Amino acid sequence: MSGHGAEIVTLPKINPADAIPADKLVFTAEEKAQLQEYKSRYPEAEGAVMRGLWFAQEKFGFLPPEVIRLVADELGIEYARAYGVATFYTQYYKQKMGKYVLDVCTCFSCQVCGGYDMLHHLEEKLGIKPGETTDDGLFSIQGVECLGACGSAPMLQVTNGPYVFNLTEDKLDALVDSLRSGKMPPFTSVTLPQDEEEMGGNRRSDAAAVATYQTPPVAGAVE
Amino acid sequence: MEQKKVESNAGNWKEYTRVLLPPVRDLHRLDVYEKQGGYSALRSVLKGDKWDPKSVGDAVKSSGLRGRGGAAFNAGLKWSFMPPVDERPRYLCCNGDESEPGTFKDRQLMEYNPHLVFEGILIAAYSMSITTTFIYVRGEYADWIKHMEGELKKAYDKGFVGKNIMGTDFSTDIVIHKGAGAYICGEETSLMESLEGKRAYPRSKPPFPAAYGVFGMPTTINNVETLACVPLIIDRGADWFAGIGAKTHAGPLLYGISGHVNRPGVYEYPSGMLMTDLIYDVCKGMRGGKKLKAVVPGGSSTPVLRADMIEGVCMDSDSLRAVGSMLGTGGMLVMDEDTDMVKWLRRVSHFYHHESCGQCTPCREGTGWLEDLVGKIDDGEGNLRDLDILIDLCYQMEGRTVCALADAAAWPVRYTIDRFRSEFEAKCRASHVATGDLQIA
Ligand SMILES: Cc1cc2nc3c(=O)[nH]c(=O)nc-3n(C[C@H](O)[C@H](O)[C@H](O)COP(=O)(O)O)c2cc1C
Ligand code: SF4
Ligand code: FES
Repeated sequence: MSGHGAEIVTLPKINPADAIPADKLVFTAEEKAQLQEYKSRYPEAEGAVMRGLWFAQEKFGFLPPEVIRLVADELGIEYARAYGVATFYTQYYKQKMGKYVLDVCTCFSCQVCGGYDMLHHLEEKLGIKPGETTDDGLFSIQGVECLGACGSAPMLQVTNGPYVFNLTEDKLDALVDSLRSGKMPPFTSVTLPQDEEEMGGNRRSDAAAVATYQTPPVAGAVE
Repeated sequence: MEQKKVESNAGNWKEYTRVLLPPVRDLHRLDVYEKQGGYSALRSVLKGDKWDPKSVGDAVKSSGLRGRGGAAFNAGLKWSFMPPVDERPRYLCCNGDESEPGTFKDRQLMEYNPHLVFEGILIAAYSMSITTTFIYVRGEYADWIKHMEGELKKAYDKGFVGKNIMGTDFSTDIVIHKGAGAYICGEETSLMESLEGKRAYPRSKPPFPAAYGVFGMPTTINNVETLACVPLIIDRGADWFAGIGAKTHAGPLLYGISGHVNRPGVYEYPSGMLMTDLIYDVCKGMRGGKKLKAVVPGGSSTPVLRADMIEGVCMDSDSLRAVGSMLGTGGMLVMDEDTDMVKWLRRVSHFYHHESCGQCTPCREGTGWLEDLVGKIDDGEGNLRDLDILIDLCYQMEGRTVCALADAAAWPVRYTIDRFRSEFEAKCRASHVATGDLQIA
């Protein structure tokens, strides 16, 4: 979670260059209809605020106050309520991030299986520290808490989207190269060890990419 | 430490046939699921003359199904706390927040057998007369949310969810809610606040969710895996379920095993498996032939066990309680002899500090102090006395807060220091200040 409740959470100052021009700060009729559909799923409009903020973040890339206000107005809820929600949850970006955000898990299982090695490799490769963005605006990196894929440690997530499992330095290099050329990693299905034995591999015939649970690497760094 | 003999037939695990994640290609697809007999439990509940809402709840209760989200509470009993039906809407929350470090089983279930989860939800909804079920999935699982929403739509189109299900007069809805990154949302009252579109601060109980839940209405909360067990109980009978694995913690269990084993992963086996069988047999032993040092049985908040403590210990709540730990989520972390327990604990404490919602002083301040003090020791700047301060701090945090996060933060510290004390002491300054003495500058 981003800010402890007792602190007064304020959004960081937005770099003027990142500000969204007023004429772009609108939802299309179609997008408005989607937001209304989200609203209809809940007995109270407020229930849809999280989905609404997600929707806005996918469109605008991050959530400066004027975008939060736009969502609140569209859903017909108080701005303060939407603002409170946007600042509570870590996945909502309060600032413009790199085009690709690499969230490397350094928690618990990943820590003891090389998560920090992977993070440090990215730091060196991209020349930035966790929380920073490269000058070309392409990459941000962060060390994050458990992503629920501990059996495939070390692992990372790209911009709140696909997971990349069983990381190695080579795999990271290939990932960065492919992202530089605009290619996101595919959704990867992880083969259960029992499926491997009983079904000879992954059970999903529609999974383009498949990973297996592997013996984790030895961790060099644990912080 | 004394070990309690727990009755269990998990010893036959090699003959076990999977039921939560059976070996069926493309089981996640509705047509395949149906061909495998899927939705037949729902059909017999809704259309047969064998079942009514109460008998469904009773079957779940007598099957011995205990919650798979961490607290291991009898599921049928929890359902029976719902008040009598009146004109108000009633809600069910399916907890797919899965953020407890070391836990990754629900994600595999959502990917490989989503309709089993839906069917379990629908049967539970019938039993408790639920208006709408919210499946709360952590925001990081964006790809799996898309995947489930696609399958859910198919179930809607087939008339298995929504209005007049299977042509009967039973109607209920399912909504998938996408979280946005906050461990605390897995706590049931915080989850409800989050659903209501608020900052996810846990509520104090009472009132309990059954009386005053999400949107102020009667609500029940169950874990994804818990609900996935329900169609199996209906299909095969409560006795069948009760006969699997440990007597007092019956049923199939998804073990998510991570860390320094040769073959980590999610495994389905009977509850009550021997920890040693899981590590040395199922997971093919320790990576690189190293020696086992420590095991965390069920997610980061469950107390760590030293290698010498796990002999003969089974993965069920009673057996683990007897050795001073808990089953938790069944997400087991295995650590080898090279693991630095102080550094590891430091990272665990960082997690809880980061995730504290800040509502209660003992938790907000305490988690910070835990992280700082463990960090100080790890940096070689601690005194022996700090260890006692840490233990004391833990006792002052436990049981004094709105939710159990403070306890979950304190347990790892207290038990790791207790069980690996020499390692902590070795990092402390060779201080002349003896334990408990006043420090004279
Ligand atoms: C801090 C905290 C985090 C929790 N996180 C989860 C979680 O991610 N998933 C889950 O199913 N239960 C979680 N729980 C337990 C829930 O509060 C609740 O007991 C559970 O979802 C009930 O389902 P069950 O009875 O089927 O286990 C958490 C509890 C606490 C105190
Ligand atoms: S115990 Fe911690 S996480 Fe739980 S309500 Fe209190 S401050 Fe929040
Ligand atoms: S600890 Fe990294 S995914 Fe769980």
